[in-house]
Amino acid sequence: MSYVTAIPLLPAAAFLLLLPLSRKARNSAIWVAVVAIAMAFVLSVMAFAAVWPGGADLAKEPAYHASFPIAVVGDSTIDIGVMLDPFSAAMLVVVTLVALCVQLYSIGYMHRDGRIGWYYAVLSLFTAAMLALVLADNFLMLYLAWEIMGLCSYLLIGYWHEQEAPRRASIKAFLTTRVGDVGFAIGLFLMYVTVGSFEFDAVLGSAADWAPGVATAVALLLLFGAMGKSAQVPLHVWLPDAMAGPTPASALIHAATMVAAGVYLIVRAMPIFEASGIALHVVLGVGLVTALVGALLAAVQHDIKKVLAYSTISQLGYMFIALGAGSAVAGMYHLITHAFFKSLLFLGAGVIIHAYHTQDMRQMGGLARFLPVTTATFAVGSLALAGIFPFSGFWSKDEIVLVLVKDGYYIAAAIALLAAFMTAFYVARLWFRVFTGPRQTEGLHEAHRSMLAPMVLLALITAGIGFGGPALGDFFGYKIPWPDPAIAGVSSGVAVAGLLLGWWAYGRRSVVLNTRTLKMRAGFIYGMLSQKLYFDLAYEYLAIRPFVKAASGLAAFDLARVDKIVTGAGSAWSRIAGISELFDRHVVDGGVNGMARGAWVLGRKARSIQSGRIQSYQRFALASLILLLMLVVMKG
Amino acid sequence: MTIGLEAFLGLSAVLFALGLYGAVSKRSAVMVLMSLELMAVAISLNMVAFSRFVTPEKMTGQFFAIFSMVVSAAEIGLGLALVVAIYRRARSIELPSLERLKG
Repeated sequence: MSYVTAIPLLPAAAFLLLLPLSRKARNSAIWVAVVAIAMAFVLSVMAFAAVWPGGADLAKEPAYHASFPIAVVGDSTIDIGVMLDPFSAAMLVVVTLVALCVQLYSIGYMHRDGRIGWYYAVLSLFTAAMLALVLADNFLMLYLAWEIMGLCSYLLIGYWHEQEAPRRASIKAFLTTRVGDVGFAIGLFLMYVTVGSFEFDAVLGSAADWAPGVATAVALLLLFGAMGKSAQVPLHVWLPDAMAGPTPASALIHAATMVAAGVYLIVRAMPIFEASGIALHVVLGVGLVTALVGALLAAVQHDIKKVLAYSTISQLGYMFIALGAGSAVAGMYHLITHAFFKSLLFLGAGVIIHAYHTQDMRQMGGLARFLPVTTATFAVGSLALAGIFPFSGFWSKDEIVLVLVKDGYYIAAAIALLAAFMTAFYVARLWFRVFTGPRQTEGLHEAHRSMLAPMVLLALITAGIGFGGPALGDFFGYKIPWPDPAIAGVSSGVAVAGLLLGWWAYGRRSVVLNTRTLKMRAGFIYGMLSQKLYFDLAYEYLAIRPFVKAASGLAAFDLARVDKIVTGAGSAWSRIAGISELFDRHVVDGGVNGMARGAWVLGRKARSIQSGRIQSYQRFALASLILLLMLVVMKG
Repeated sequence: MTIGLEAFLGLSAVLFALGLYGAVSKRSAVMVLMSLELMAVAISLNMVAFSRFVTPEKMTGQFFAIFSMVVSAAEIGLGLALVVAIYRRARSIELPSLERLKG
C-alpha cells in the first residue's frame, strides 16, 4: 500500500514541475497539475477502498503506516511518516475530489488570466500540503503541512497583487493565522517536553496520564492554532477578507479544505482534549460564539462571496460545537458534508460573478431564468447549507444537535438552532436577491460545460451523501444513527422558519429590494452587524494602532537618541580628523610642496643663465678664463 | 733693423684680440666665423714665430701651422654649411635671434 505515500507527492511534483518554467510555458502546462490531482484522486479512492469497511479497530490500528527519519537531534530521531486510518482515508477522498473539481472548474474560470500557470502551481502545492497534513502520523509533520498551507493561502489571496485589497487581505490572513500558529508551536514544544515525541501513538496514548494542567495547556494551545486556521472568533477576521482571491481558490481553501485543517487537528488531538475536559468546554464555547456570530454577520453582507465566507465561519463553528461536545465523528461528518456543499456554493458564486461582473448582490436579480444549471446546483447547495431534508447539511447538522441533546447541552443546542435559523435566513436572503426579482443586467450567460460539470458532480454528492451517514459512522468506528424524528422535526422547522423569514423580507413581490426597511426596523443591531461586530475596529484600535504608535515612538526615540549618539560620535571624530587634517596639510604637505617649490624657484633662477645665445656662452667662457688666469698669475 | 720675436707676438696678440672681440660681439654668424678664423690665424702666427726664433733647427711650429690651416679650412666649410642650413630653417643668421636652445 505504499502508493499512499504518492498521493501528496503527485501534486507536489506538479508544483515542482511548474515552478521553474517560464510564465508562458507554465500557462500551457496546467494540464500537469490537473493530471496529478486526478491521479491522486484515483489513488485516494483506492486507499479508501482498501480501508473500507473501516471500523473501530482500524481507527486504533492504522491500515498503513510508514515513517522516514528526517533529522537526528541528540538521542532523539525526528520522523515524518504517513498513516492511513479511516479519518485520513475519508479526508483524502474529500480533499482530492474537491481539488479535482476546483481545478477542472478553474480551467474555464481563469482561462483569460495571464498567470494561470502560477495559479495552478500554488493550487497543486496547497493540495499536496493538505494531503500531507491529512496523512501525517505525527504532530510535527502536521505542523509543517499546516504552515505550507498558510503560505499557499497567502499566495492565492494575494493572487491579484497588483490591486490594493488583495494585497492587504493576504497580509492580514497571513498575520492572523500566524497568531494562532504561534500558539500551535508553543503547544508542540510543551507536548515534546512532556512526551519526548511528536508521534500520534506516543502522544495520544499517554495523554490520559499527563498532569491535568499540562493536558489543558497543550489542548488550549492547539485549540488556539486551530482557531486561527479555522477562522474561529476572535481570529476569524481574515477569512472574509480572503475573498479577494480567485473564487475557485476560495472554494478550495477558504471553504472546503484548509479551514478544515483546524477541525482535523482537534479531531486528531481529541484524546488530549478529553484528558483535559475543560478544553472541550472551551472548544464548545468558541464554536457556539463563532456559529452565531458568523451567521449573524452573513445576514448583512452585500458581497455574495462575503456572505459565503461568513457562512463558512459559522459552519466551522458548528464543527467546533460538535468537537466540543466530544464527538469527533460528528465534527468530521459536518466537515465532509460542508466541504462538498460549500465548494459547490463557491463555484456557483464564481459563475454568478462572471455573469454579473460584480460581487454586489444589490446589483443582481432574476438570474434563475438565464442560468438554469447554476440555479439548480446552487439551490442544492443552499438547501444543504440551510439544513433542509434530504440534502447533506441536514444530516450532519442534525447529528450535531443530536449529540448536544444526548449529552445534555440544552443551552448549546438552543444556540446551535438559533444559528441554524440565521443560516436559513441568510441563505434565503442570498437566494431571493440573486435568483429572483427583476433582471438587473443584460447579456447574462451560462458558464461553459467544463465549469458546470464539477458543479453538477458536487451537487449530486451533496444531494446523496446524507444517506450514507450511518455507513460513514461505521467506517469511523462510531454509530451515526438515522436522525431522531423529534430533533429532525425541530431543526427542520427552525430551518423552514428561517427560510420563510428570508422570503418575507426579501422574496415577496411587494418588498422593495433594499436594506432601508431593515435598517429602520433594527437600526442598532444592523449598524452593529454591518460593522462586523466591531472586530476589525477593535483590532485596529487595540492591536494595530498601539503597535504602530509604539513603533513610531521607537522610531522617534531612534531618531532623537540613538541617532544623536551616533551622529555625535561621528561629528566628534570628524573634528579630531580636522586637526589631523591641518597637520597633514601644513606640515606634511607643506614640506613636500615646499621642496618642490624650492626646486622650482632654483630652476627658474638657473634657467636664466641658459639663454640659448651662443655669444653669451662665449662671454661666460671668456670671463671664466680670465678669472682663472688671474688666479694662476696671483698664486704664482 | 731686424724684426724681433716681440713684434710677431704683438701682432699675433692684436689679431687674436680683434678675433675675440668679433667672435663675442658680432651679430652675423658669418662675421663670427670670420673672427674665429682670425683667432686661429693669430695662434698659427704665434706658433710659427716661436718656432723660428726659439728652435730654428726644428720645423715643429710650421707643421702645426699647416695642420691648423687644414683644420680651419675643414672647420669653415662645416661652419658655412651649418649657417646655410640655419638660414633655410630660420630665414636669418642673426645670432641673437637664434635662441631656441634656451633653458
